[in-house]
Parts: sequence; structure tokens; C-alpha cells
Amino acid sequence: MGAYLIRRAGQAIAVVVGVTVLTFVMIHMEPGSVARSILGIRATSDRIAIFNATYGLNQPLYKQFFAYVSQVLHGNLGTSYYLSQPVSTLFAQRLPRDLFLLGSSTVIALAISLPMGMYQAVRRGGIMDNLLSAVSFTLYCMPAFFFAVLLVAVFAVQTHIFLPEAPSGTSIGSMLTQPRALVLPIATLTLIQVAGFSRYMRSSVIDTLAQDYLRVARAKGLPERLVLLRHVLRNSLLPVVTIVGLSLPGLVTGAIVVEDVFNYQGMGLLFFDAATHHDFPILLGSTLIVGVATVLGNLAADIAYGILDPRVRYVRG
Amino acid sequence: MRMIRPAAALVAALTLALAAAACSSSGTSGGSSTGKPQQGGTVTQAWIAATPNFIFPYAPATNTDGYNQNLTEPMWPPLAYDGDGGQSAVNPQESLYSSLTFSNGNKTVTMVLKSWKWSDGAPITSRDFTFLYNLLKANYQNWNLFIPGTFPVDVASVSASDTHTVVLNLTQPTSPDFFAGDVLNNVQLIPQHAWDKESVAGAVGDYDQTTAGAKAVYDFLQKEGSQISTFTTNPLWQVVNGPWKLSTFNSDGTLYGYVPNKSYSGPAKPYLTKVLNQSFTSDTSMLDALRSGSAIQVAPLPLNDVTQAGELKAEGYSTTPVAIPGVAGMEPNFYNASVGAVFRQLYIRQAMEELINRPQIVAKVFNGYADPGNGPVPVRAFPSWASPLEKQGGPYPYSPSAASSLLTSHGWKVVPNGVSTCQSPGSGPTQCGAGIPAGQQLQFQLAYSSGRATTDQTNAAIQSSEEQAGIKLNLKPEPFNTLIGNTGICTAKSHTKDCGWQIVEFGYNPYGLYPADNGNFATGGTSNFGGYSDPQADSLINATLQSSGTQAFYQYEDYVAKQLPWLWLPLRESLEVYKSNLAGFAPTNSFSADLDFETWHYSK
Repeated sequence: MGAYLIRRAGQAIAVVVGVTVLTFVMIHMEPGSVARSILGIRATSDRIAIFNATYGLNQPLYKQFFAYVSQVLHGNLGTSYYLSQPVSTLFAQRLPRDLFLLGSSTVIALAISLPMGMYQAVRRGGIMDNLLSAVSFTLYCMPAFFFAVLLVAVFAVQTHIFLPEAPSGTSIGSMLTQPRALVLPIATLTLIQVAGFSRYMRSSVIDTLAQDYLRVARAKGLPERLVLLRHVLRNSLLPVVTIVGLSLPGLVTGAIVVEDVFNYQGMGLLFFDAATHHDFPILLGSTLIVGVATVLGNLAADIAYGILDPRVRYVRG
Repeated sequence: MRMIRPAAALVAALTLALAAAACSSSGTSGGSSTGKPQQGGTVTQAWIAATPNFIFPYAPATNTDGYNQNLTEPMWPPLAYDGDGGQSAVNPQESLYSSLTFSNGNKTVTMVLKSWKWSDGAPITSRDFTFLYNLLKANYQNWNLFIPGTFPVDVASVSASDTHTVVLNLTQPTSPDFFAGDVLNNVQLIPQHAWDKESVAGAVGDYDQTTAGAKAVYDFLQKEGSQISTFTTNPLWQVVNGPWKLSTFNSDGTLYGYVPNKSYSGPAKPYLTKVLNQSFTSDTSMLDALRSGSAIQVAPLPLNDVTQAGELKAEGYSTTPVAIPGVAGMEPNFYNASVGAVFRQLYIRQAMEELINRPQIVAKVFNGYADPGNGPVPVRAFPSWASPLEKQGGPYPYSPSAASSLLTSHGWKVVPNGVSTCQSPGSGPTQCGAGIPAGQQLQFQLAYSSGRATTDQTNAAIQSSEEQAGIKLNLKPEPFNTLIGNTGICTAKSHTKDCGWQIVEFGYNPYGLYPADNGNFATGGTSNFGGYSDPQADSLINATLQSSGTQAFYQYEDYVAKQLPWLWLPLRESLEVYKSNLAGFAPTNSFSADLDFETWHYSK
């Protein structure tokens, strides 16, 4: 396992470096003047020169790249051109909020969808299975934007039960003090995820239920409850683990649609604004973070495989 | 003035435009409270994507966040206070000077400051002005609102003849209207007795009196001014002379608030006990908040959402229209390799303008909430500066037949709903014009800033109406920052690699209180992207900057209106919604930028 982790860490570094190089080159290939794009219509040549000198944009591309790598290695992700704040500060403000919003909605979604998928599989073909499948398909095919707006219209605008905007605080502690404001954004993300997770879980459980070892377990007299919990659930989780692992990067990229609808300052909007403003430091920093999250997500999924299924062993070769 | 300097980034201008409110012919709807003013209460004002990040009033050249002006001006108002109730004029009561005298052929300005005080009790003196002048003189290149050729570089010397009198000797004559309405309204007085220091622990001195010292002080203040986490705690920012002090500021700038400066010397003492500014990610989320009965009292209502006004009225809101102090137009590239020669012909530009049905666009696209766009000065935001010609509809009213005749008389084969072509090349009076070859098509690409439905509708209407004379416009919407990044300034001398564009429309360019050229049409102007250059226009523009009164201004205005350096377009207004029991908000002027909340109050 140790050798495996070391090997995966090496791969991870290579992936992150590769993604960084690729992103750096691609965003610098964008046509047009970054300085003018940031400074606007009335940018004078003097201001453009100051801007380029301040951010090193007057240097050859390879020098800019090595300067960037050097500052990243020193823990500095640069300064946002547009927001005039250190990128690390901006991430520190938004990342915890997204981790909280997306993390909590993912946990709740799993808590709902795993038993739901299992129940549907065990009772497949029944009324409840068909009903829940219909609900899942409806949620799955509904665009997040539309779903969010719908929830706002019903529960905020019409009935005033919940607030249409996320908490205004910037810390998780202050957000928790406004639960009415948290309900709709979390519900939106949760329900959309439930649809996907439950379908995977249902399919996986159906596959597992057809395995011979379950027949053996039952023949040995194991109660059905234990058959389901010990054998079916555990073996059915593998595909879901893959999906959850792949969704980890989403925790740091944010949920732009939900952020936009619920006035939630998160990573998604930060990244989007950076893209429209040619704000290279934020784009590069985000890519770096997402690259790391992707690698870690996959690594976590691999490790979870080994825990869930002892037959999976990470050996050299 | 309560408005961002025109040189600020467009986002700043957009902010203020949305926020600025004007008493327009469209009028205010809904009830506005008129009862006895009530002391106390909180107002929460909504903004779209407004997150200031710098508190020192003089931000670095690289800082483009126009909302920083919104943040600082309630605490450190400019010398000349823009907006007087519903009037777009300098407010003499709230301005920091009691008199402004011009002499020596308008090359000497004598300003007498009022005997007001800073919030710590220290008097405001002429030393405060020399302090800011010394800082800017040494650091103007690192001031994001600096306009080349203007304050402070056009000041030969500054002296303080007594504790309240400042004498500025200028390098050239200035227009008193320009000086008050476009210079002093962008200069915020700052406290020398508290800020003239080079470090946190250092003592206050007279460091600004040397260039090195002024640079050190400026660097120190800019560094401190970027520390968001200390905006409300740094002792520097506690010393204010405006009606408000900053009381809250969250770490990402999405929510900040003020409480009254109890030592404010001005005449308009705040009624409210707190004003909060909340930023929304989009107008959708803001509108949802309004419709959900949230605690927002003031908000901009995009024209796209004008149909929501009725529903908001049921929630207790009134609406008031906003006239934007700016000029909208399509800028032709006079030096584009393939069509520059075409645009250099006035009759072509005239024909194109005559094919724009501006009154119809105002009525159908903007529901009446727009300036007609008859020339370089908007008549609704600047009724006192708009010339009779502009007020009468401008020099080129909509006339497809006149446009077609004009083209035909200059050797073009006009193909309605097709593409007209030049059949008679040459520079004679009945020929297409110099540099235009036979077969040249009247087909252009119009690149414009995307994301606003009314802009899409306007350009689609223009595209359709231009086709009546065989002028084909290919529309190319792009995000604003992409558009501006790809649009080079093109002139006869410097033809940059980014001059492939043919016509560009950024939205609009803002004006200060004095709507002079502002770099739009003068040769080499910072916003003169298409390279328009006309010595007579330059001369008339200079006259507006050096003399006062409307005569020279009208001459400039009418000449430029006729010459069409841009194709004039209607300029949208926007709507402000406000709680009907909030008095003092409406009528508003185009320059208050919704920052004059010391005049707002609830009524009993």
C-alpha cells in the first residue's frame, strides 16, 4: 500500500504540473490585451505599461511561467488582476463556503440516495420503485438553474418560508446562524445529486443481488437484514464510490448556477468572472486547486475500493 | 461629486449609471413618503456585483474597481459635491469650498475652504489640500483616475495664502465649469494631520513636501488601503470629513455599512442610524430578494425586468427612472484596412445614422426609458448643456429615403435588403470617395458588448433598418472584457495588430458633471478607438475646456453631432426601486449615485 501511495503521489504531481503548464500556455494564447481588458475603455498607455510591469506581463512567456512556478512554490498564488486581492485570500474566503455547501449537500444526498437506491432495488418493479424512479428521472433531467428558480419561486417568493439568498456571512459559523437562508441552496444541490446517486445505487444493488455468494449466505441462514447490510450494501458501494470520488473536484470548483441564483459568493462565480476578465492568476490558481482535488478524489476512491472490497489489492506492477 | 471619474473602468461607470438617478420625463411611480422626517432607521441598499476592495481614496493605477469610489466618498467627499436634490449640478451647500474664483485669464484659481472639521475635531485647512496635491503630483502615474494633461499635471504651483485659502496657478486657462464639474468633483480632501506618515508606527510629519517623502507616504497609504480586514479598525480610516463612517465591512466586500459621523460639519446631517450596502451576484438573485419581502430598501431594477415594477409595488416599493450621464454610440474604425476609407466619408456615416430609427428604439426597446441619443450630449441627463439642435432631435433624423439618396448621389448602387456596392470610384463630389475601390461593399462587422437584452434588441433593429439601403451589419456579440481586450486603438500613425475590428459598441462612455469631450472624439483621446481626427473638432473641444458658458459648448456639441465620429445611439436609463416610506430618495439626480443617503429618511 505504501509503495502504491508513493507511486500515486508521483503520478499526481505529474498530472498537476502537466495541467498547470497546459493551462498557463492556453490562457496566454488568448488574443487581445489583458491590460486593456482589465483596465477598461479609458486605459491610458501609461496605465497599461504600469499594469504590465506590475504583473510581469511585459516579460517573455517562459519567464512569466518560471516566475509563476517560483511564487507557487513559495506558497503565493499571485494577485488577482481584477479584484486586486491575493488569490490565496480569495480562495480562503470562498473555498470553505463551497466545501460547506457542496459537502453538506453531498453528504445529505448520499444519506438519502443509498437507502433509497437499495430499497428500490430490493423492491424493484413495485409501486414505490416506479414512483421513486419517476421522481429521480424528473430531478435528474431538470436543469439546476430551473430547479433552483422553482424552489425560490415556491418557497421564498410565494410562501416566504425560506430566504431566496444564501447567508451573507463569510464564515461557516456565521452561515450556520441563518439556517433559513441555507435550506434552498442545499436542497437544490442535494436533490439533484440524489437523483444521480440513487440510480447508480439501485443498479449496483440489482447486480449484487444476483451474485451467487448471496445465495450461499442465505443458505447458511444469515438473516435477510444482515445479508443486505453486510454483503449487498458493501459490495454495491463500489460504483457509487467512483462517482463520489469523481465529484470531489466539484467541491472546489463550486456550483456556479446555484451560486448565481442564491447570491452565494463561491468558487464557481469567482472562476467564471476570472474567465471573462482574463484574470490569469485566479484561473491558474483554480486550475491548480482543481487538479489537486481531482487527483486526491481519485486516490480516495481507490483507497475506498480496497477497504470495501478486500479482493482489491494495490500491489506493484 | 458623488460619481466615479469618467476615467475609471467601465464597470465603475456602469455601477454609477445604474445607481445614478435622475428626474426625468418618465417620472416616478408609486407613492413617495412626504411626512415628517424620522430620526433613525436602517436602509439596506442592493448592488449588482459591487465589491469594493480599497479604502484609501487614491487607488493604484492597476486597481480598476470603480466601487471603491462608492465606498470612500461618503467618508471623504470630493471638494465639489455633485448633485443638488433633483438637479445635476454642483451642490454649493455640501461642497467643501465656500468660493471659487478664477482670474489671470482663467489661469489662476482661488479656492476658499469652509471652516469645517475632521471627525477627530481638527479643522479642515488649506494644508489638507496641499497634502493631497503633493501626493498626487509625485504619484499621479499610480493613481487610477488620473487623466493625462489634467490635475495635477496642469497645475504649475499651489500655495496656501491662509489657513483656508488655496491658490492654484495653472499651466493653461481652464473652464470654470470644467474645473468644478470635472476636476474638483474628483478630488477628495484627505487629512494631513493624520495621514502624513510613512509607516504605522511612524509619527505624522510634513513628509509630503519632498517628492521622496510624498512617494513614501503614498505607498504607505496605498498599502494600508488594500488591507480589507482592517478597513473598520485602522485608525487612519477613522478620520473622516464626510457625513458617514464605515462601521462594517465583511471580508469579501459583499456587505458593508456606515453609521453617521457625529462630527460632520456639513448642512445635511444624517437621519438614518445605519446604511448597509449589499452586493448580489446577479439581478436575478436581487430581484428574488425584493420579491420575497427582504429587508432591502433601495435597489437598481434593470430595464429587462421593468415588468416586475408592478409586482414590486405590491411589496411596498416605488420606482424612479435613472438618466445616465454618458454618450452611447457605435464607433467606426477609420483606419481598418478594408473599410476605414469608407468610414472616412462623412456622407456614409450620415446615411448610416439616418437609417437608425432612434425614436422607435427608445419607445419599443427601452419602453421610453432612454435618452434619444441625438448627439454627444444626452439631453435627459444634461438638459442645461444639450444644445437646441440636440433637443430638437439632432442633425440626422431617421430617413431611409434620404440615406438611400445620399448613397446613390455618391456613386453607390443601392440594393435594399442586399448589399450596396460602389460603382463610381474616385474622389469627385458624385463619386464614392478617396480610397474606395469599385465594387466595395457596404458590409461591416459590428462587435458589441453582450449580456444585455436591450443591446441585442437595439442592434437587431439597427441591422434590420440599415438593410433598407443595402448596408449589411454582421453582429458579433462578445463579453465586454473580451471585446475591450481585442479592440485596439487605431490611428493613421499607429495601426496596431488589434485593428481588425470595423465597428465597435462598448455600451456607453460616462461623463462627469461637465459633459465635454472627455477623450472620446479629440485626436489621440483615450477612448477614441477609431482614430477620428479633425482639427476643427479639436479646436472646439479645447475651447470647451478653457472657456465657460454655453456658447463655446454648443459650437463643439453641434459640430461633433454633425460630424459623426460615432454613430449616435439611444442611451438606456435604468430604474431604481425604493421603499415607498423612504423619503429624500426621489427625485434624484444623475450624479448622486445613490450615495447621498444623508438626505434619506423614513417619515412618521
